[in-house]
Amino acid sequence: MAIRFKSLSYIYDKDMPYAHKALDNIDLEIKEGIITAIIGETGSGKSTLVEHLNALLLPSEGSLEILDYNLVANQKIKFLKPLRKDVGLVFQFSEYQLFEETVIKDVAFGPLNFGFSLEEAIARAKEALKLVKIDESLFETSPLELSGGQKRRVAIAGILACDPKIIVLDEPTAGLDPKGAKEIINLFVSLNRQSHKTIIIVSHDNEMVYNCCEETVVLSHGQIKYHGPTLDLFADEKILKEYDLLEPQIVTFKNLLAKKGIKVSKQARTIEMIAKEVAGQVKR
Amino acid sequence: MNNLVFGKYIPIDSLIHRIDPRAKLIGLFLMIAAVFIPKSWIVFGVIALFIAIGLILAKIGIKMIVQSFKPMIMMMIFLLVINSLTIKTGEVLFTIGTFEIYSDAIFNTLFVIVRLLLMISITTLLTATTKPLDLTMGIEWMLKPLQILHFPTHEVAMMVSIALRFIPTIIEETIRIMNAQKSRGVDFENGKLGEKITAILALIVPLFSVAFERAYELADAMEARGYVPGAERTRYHVLKFEFLDFLFIIICAAILAFSIASRFYL
Repeated sequence: MAIRFKSLSYIYDKDMPYAHKALDNIDLEIKEGIITAIIGETGSGKSTLVEHLNALLLPSEGSLEILDYNLVANQKIKFLKPLRKDVGLVFQFSEYQLFEETVIKDVAFGPLNFGFSLEEAIARAKEALKLVKIDESLFETSPLELSGGQKRRVAIAGILACDPKIIVLDEPTAGLDPKGAKEIINLFVSLNRQSHKTIIIVSHDNEMVYNCCEETVVLSHGQIKYHGPTLDLFADEKILKEYDLLEPQIVTFKNLLAKKGIKVSKQARTIEMIAKEVAGQVKR
Repeated sequence: MNNLVFGKYIPIDSLIHRIDPRAKLIGLFLMIAAVFIPKSWIVFGVIALFIAIGLILAKIGIKMIVQSFKPMIMMMIFLLVINSLTIKTGEVLFTIGTFEIYSDAIFNTLFVIVRLLLMISITTLLTATTKPLDLTMGIEWMLKPLQILHFPTHEVAMMVSIALRFIPTIIEETIRIMNAQKSRGVDFENGKLGEKITAILALIVPLFSVAFERAYELADAMEARGYVPGAERTRYHVLKFEFLDFLFIIICAAILAFSIASRFYL
């Protein structure tokens, strides 16, 4: 188990007349080595949940275990840096965190803060930039001169270079063109497949969630409404309707096929997989 | 960042919230004048009573008022020290070593402190119950006489309201960037001087680039909606004095009159 929330609540502006309970008694276990999606409408508490994973917010009530670290309400913590090294957080519109003079320096900034030597930090930065497909010719330019998509990738490299055990992404593809978005998602899918990193993606993009994420958590008004296999969630029309979740196009397509008498297995989550199964049936 | 109480608007509904911002501004001036005139504790008590009624009507907790006093503590201590050193009239109250503390020094300090606390309470009452934008509309109205001197009241009011409107946005942005950099191992609280400078740079550079980007976008959006500086404009919300507003001003004026009278009769 990578992360375990135990009856955790978070209240914004506690003691103020307009106090607001953003997370309400959350019990949640996130498995190691898989991609988990967190979905829910705007204001459901997704970002608040994610900020707890880096101790940027501390629980008002309850507790939270992340790897070997334990965050308990009203207790001071002493392991901020190691926790933040082990859990890499990629924020929404992460390109706004860039500030160094050159791309390579910006990516090496995190590793340097976490105590890597300069040479090692630069080596890690180069490796991370290669992963996100930033060309070597751009290493010495100012990050502020890059295009939006490139900036986003440099910012992501800045997190990858710290070699986190868990990677948390808050809307990593918001505002990117479809091609750039796909590249970024593919990067994290391959990171998960090759080095078995635990990945958590906060998203509004149900198509991507259906395609890539093994498990899904549905948040609504600060409470967990569903947690389980993604394929089960999107196969259940009742839940989709209850929480007003958009059905992925592939699910719609599968339902239409089923109406015409062509049965496709639940595991088929991409067009390619469906095509293969349909082709098999047509041949027979 | 979120602990900033002084000047923070509390978005609830109350009798005080509903008073016209212009009436509240006039009331503020009358009350501040009333606080600075009297030399009698009774008058201070009466004024404090009225402020307390205002705070209760506005549903502002005592906790918030106490918090807004906190930044003043250093100043009060400083004032006490300076007064003890300079004022040598009245009776000797007690001595520290060979240094004598006179009664007038203590009373003078108390007077100033009470005035400051009353003033802060009044101002907090105003800012906590008036939306910043309403406040600018009120200020714009009060500056109107200056238009005779070709003072661009409208533009100034627009600038002030834009600035006010963007304070929460910039604070939000600051918190977001700080969080992002904290995740990358920046420590904003501790660390050596060199580390602190890097930490500040990691905050300031992105903040400026975001602020400029926003400014350009806002300017474009305003032009796209037909904003022309200096052009004659009409208001969507027209402020109107009502019975409650007049009543409020009359109460404030009465308190001022009482405090002036106290100088002659008490």
